[in-house]
Amino acid sequence: MSSPTDIASAAAAAQSALAQSAVDDDAQTPEPFGLGSSAPRNDALPKALGIYPYAADLWAEGLLWGAVLRAPHPHARIVSVDTSAALALPGVHAVITAADLPPGPEGAPDGAPHGPIVADRPILAAGLIRHHGEPVAAVAADHPDTARLAAASIVVEYEVLEPVTDPEQAFSAPPLHPDGNLFRHLPLRTGDPEAVGEIIVEGLYQVGRQDPAPIGAEAGLAVPRPDGGVELHLSSTDPHGDRDRTAACLGLEPDRVRLVVTGIPGATADREDLSFQVTLAMLALRTGRPVKMTLTREESFQTHTSRHPALLRYRHHADAEGRLVKVEAQILLDGGAYADVSSEALAAATAFSVGPYVCPNVFVDAWAVRTNNPPAGRMRGEGALQTCFAYESQLDQLAVRVGVEPLEIRRRNAMATGDPMPTGQAVTCPAPVAALLDAVSASPLPALPMDDPEGDWLLPGGPGGAGDPAAVRRGIGYAVGMVHMLGAEGEDEVSTATVRVSGDHATVICAAVDSGQGFATLARQIVQDVLGVTEVYVAPVDSDQSIAGPSARGRHTWVSGGAVERAALMVRHQLLQPIAANFGMSVELLSIADGKITSYDGVLGMPVGEALEGKELWATAQCRPHPTEPLDEAGQGDAFVSIAFCAMRAVVDVDIELGTVRVVDVTVAQDVGRALNPRQIEDRIEAGVAQGVGLALLEDLRTEGGRLVNPSLTGYRLPTALDTPEVRIAALLEERDVVATFGAKAVSAAPAVVAPAAVAAAVRAATGLPVGRLPILPEDAIAG
Amino acid sequence: MLPASLDEAVEALAATPGAVPVAGATDLMEAVNAGRLRPAALIGLGRITELRGWRYEDGGTAVLGAGLTHARMDRPDFAALIPALADAARTAGPPQVRNVGTLGGNVATAAPAGDTLPVLAALEATATLARAGSTREVPVSHLLTGLDPLRPGELLTWVRVPLLNAPQVFLKATGRSGPARATASVALVLDPARRAVRCAVGAVAPVPLRPLEAETWVAGCIDWDARGEDGATVIDPAAAAAFGEYVAGACVPEVLPDGTNEGLAQGAARVRRTVSVLARRALGRALK
Ligand SMILES: Cc1cc2nc3c(=O)[nH]c(=O)nc-3n(C[C@H](O)[C@H](O)[C@H](O)COP(=O)(O)OP(=O)(O)OC[C@H]3O[C@@H](n4cnc5c(N)ncnc54)[C@H](O)[C@@H]3O)c2cc1C
Repeated sequence: MSSPTDIASAAAAAQSALAQSAVDDDAQTPEPFGLGSSAPRNDALPKALGIYPYAADLWAEGLLWGAVLRAPHPHARIVSVDTSAALALPGVHAVITAADLPPGPEGAPDGAPHGPIVADRPILAAGLIRHHGEPVAAVAADHPDTARLAAASIVVEYEVLEPVTDPEQAFSAPPLHPDGNLFRHLPLRTGDPEAVGEIIVEGLYQVGRQDPAPIGAEAGLAVPRPDGGVELHLSSTDPHGDRDRTAACLGLEPDRVRLVVTGIPGATADREDLSFQVTLAMLALRTGRPVKMTLTREESFQTHTSRHPALLRYRHHADAEGRLVKVEAQILLDGGAYADVSSEALAAATAFSVGPYVCPNVFVDAWAVRTNNPPAGRMRGEGALQTCFAYESQLDQLAVRVGVEPLEIRRRNAMATGDPMPTGQAVTCPAPVAALLDAVSASPLPALPMDDPEGDWLLPGGPGGAGDPAAVRRGIGYAVGMVHMLGAEGEDEVSTATVRVSGDHATVICAAVDSGQGFATLARQIVQDVLGVTEVYVAPVDSDQSIAGPSARGRHTWVSGGAVERAALMVRHQLLQPIAANFGMSVELLSIADGKITSYDGVLGMPVGEALEGKELWATAQCRPHPTEPLDEAGQGDAFVSIAFCAMRAVVDVDIELGTVRVVDVTVAQDVGRALNPRQIEDRIEAGVAQGVGLALLEDLRTEGGRLVNPSLTGYRLPTALDTPEVRIAALLEERDVVATFGAKAVSAAPAVVAPAAVAAAVRAATGLPVGRLPILPEDAIAG
Repeated sequence: MLPASLDEAVEALAATPGAVPVAGATDLMEAVNAGRLRPAALIGLGRITELRGWRYEDGGTAVLGAGLTHARMDRPDFAALIPALADAARTAGPPQVRNVGTLGGNVATAAPAGDTLPVLAALEATATLARAGSTREVPVSHLLTGLDPLRPGELLTWVRVPLLNAPQVFLKATGRSGPARATASVALVLDPARRAVRCAVGAVAPVPLRPLEAETWVAGCIDWDARGEDGATVIDPAAAAAFGEYVAGACVPEVLPDGTNEGLAQGAARVRRTVSVLARRALGRALK
């Protein structure tokens, strides 16, 4: 392994090489600076060079290796656990089971349970196994192979129980957990239940289990501390939440646990399940030595949460022109074995069940239930994605019945700013739904093979595949959708940031984890904008910093970005105050631009660097958006801070004899409020489209009787470059959201929410088939 | 161990009990990483240059080195010789894998979805197996079925295929555009000298299957002397479609639903359909 200095110098060399070539190319182009510029990502170069450090690269003197024993059954009672064989193996330093956990409330045998909202999940199972792969015991040994061998030699006697795997059976099945099988039932009732439309369309829709499948599997290093605490180095996206929950499970005070966030190798919301980190910490505490653990790919699929599989039954009533009269829906989310954030996902599914359309009468019943399937959790647009597929499929059906184009049916019903949602909340943020639809429809269509016979056409089935041009049909589909940003239903949203300026550079200290979403880059841009400093460092994150909250629900731009801006503004005031006083004018009359402080009358023109010389200025600030309220028993309430919208047009080619689908092009128009970094927004849109296309056509973590069928990257099909379409941005609509930081909306979730619906619509158009199930498998697209 | 010649390699294999040969390691390392294989020693074949190319024999046979990579077989000079094998090599995984994965490794692994296997079956290829001091020649199909398997200490050195100088096709269904294993594949070669069509279906059974009756039948439907516009042999489209059905019927047994096996019956029907389309298209591409 190369030393840190090697890495640093390699990075520096590459950086200067890059800078050099940039200079050679065009000496005139200035470095992107401040908000609105396409500033390059802080982590791009080290990641491209392969020197960006991840948890799997960590090493400590004298470390031991951890391994976990997992249940081979989805539902079973543990009769006995015998660890003697494992303990007898040379090289084994510790074996832990639930019996070693600090006792839980009321002496529960599996120790203190945990969970992001409801604590219902054991760190190590003692009584019942509720899903395939649930951790039962863990080992620390002096070699990874020894650790795995020892884990495998633990003898567990199971009484195998019948698993509940069909979410519809969860209601009548005996309770799988003392908390019961119903995580939440959310009814939504608004308007006249007797209303009927001239046209009625019905549909049943199914969404499979998408996994975040992060490119780097879970890995971490735990180091015991002299004070009896423990330091955890891992890729947490919620360092303080994870610290608090870990401490609670270990029976320690929160300040005895320190989380140091390493590079995040892929995350679409939560990362690193708690059982992993608590077990790791316990092994370190038990042995008094650093312990490292890296999960195998199979374990990774078993341990982290996936997207909620859903079953949705819809009935839309409309008048003869296709205007919505009433929407009735039943939504069932399979939450798997533990509660996690199912109740949150259900709130989104219910509130957005009609989509970005106006409808006076809405009657929805939504349930999230417990089964013996893998636990479901947060994943870009949880809840909102599943319903988007359903309501957009319904609108396609309605268009056919009314006899208008799919775009027209959407225009006739589109929601606008100020319109009410079925929850009674008025959409006070910009809702440019019609403008988004116009933008995608105005964008030119990709050429047809017949118009460009010389082109290098990639047929469905890929290069060298079996595709036959005579059997290929092209389809064009539209979809529009919505998703909220920030925590909902009364969750306290807050973040804290510190900005320090010293000499010619600034430092941002904020515990908002850059999970790949680009927060560190944004923080740099904000400080550049406010203070006129070019050099901005963003400090690595650990839990000793102030709380910034999880990297999820598109919240950091708003909440942490807001905190950074406020802190920077306070520093700016400190900087300008003495200058203003000196010239006998108020601070408001000074501005910072192009690295210079200038007065309104142009008399003063001082470089920022000069003003800062020899100074060190600090400020810490918080941002807390306006509060929300829980949905009531009729599904009513102002539950969301703000909502983002997105429209898409997907173009697909389908080989109607083999059922293979290739997404040729996806054109996107998105409501971004303000484009803070256009290049980064495009990246996020491409990522969202890729993930949405994956769910639409390929990705499905399958189970059979509760057992995972394909927990590998061979079996779980992620989209490759050849499966991913050309993504074109028709428009980034910049209508400021006045209450949002910088007027900007979150950008990552919306494209992931809408892409599956758009692809399904296009396949429907190409094949004439109903397409009620995602992913769309070849057998669902055979029309020849 | 990295022997530089074939002789050294077979010697090393004989001298080291439990040693396993390794070529591109694309299958082997997967097994090692998954904990399915823990070889006592590895004998790398990468430096045996003679196995990385091919030679001709008796004018009508190509003798292919086991070390030929998929990437090499996809190059135009090779594709002109044995087009179906080049087609198979072109689709055998992503470029990184094709750059190092070899013909010998594909045959030795004998995975149901091994892409070169139906082609070798249709070509009725034979393999040379070498051990210290002796060699033997076995039909590839015998190797694959286990009728005459690769024995410990044996090295697959050469694969002999006839040069047919006629159209041949390999088609693979995967259900996606990116690289993937076959859900079904069909190799089809014309042998004008013998007025024969040979076909093999891959990935639907543990080994490639030959629909012998369908081959004979369709060979009889072809007017071998007639020539279409671009000089290709012609066939009636209805006959091509019937051929597809015939091949599918022969290679994918029908599962009659009896109430308990609905999924199985549907699955079998899907595979039959796919094979039928592939076989029809393959014939259509071989004959214009
Ligand atoms: C991501 C990925 C995608 C893939 N996709 C495909 C695909 O689409 N289609 C496909 O067919 N395959 C695919 N494969 C499988 C693999 O690449 C091929 O089977 C390849 O041909 C194996 O060759 P190798 O040289 O890498 O074999 P190795 O891994 O080196 O060896 C495989 C086995 O063969 C034995 N062996 C190798 N050479 C000899 C020899 N000369 N004599 C005796 N025994 C020998 C080894 O001992 C070992 O047991 C894929 C693999 C990966 C990792």
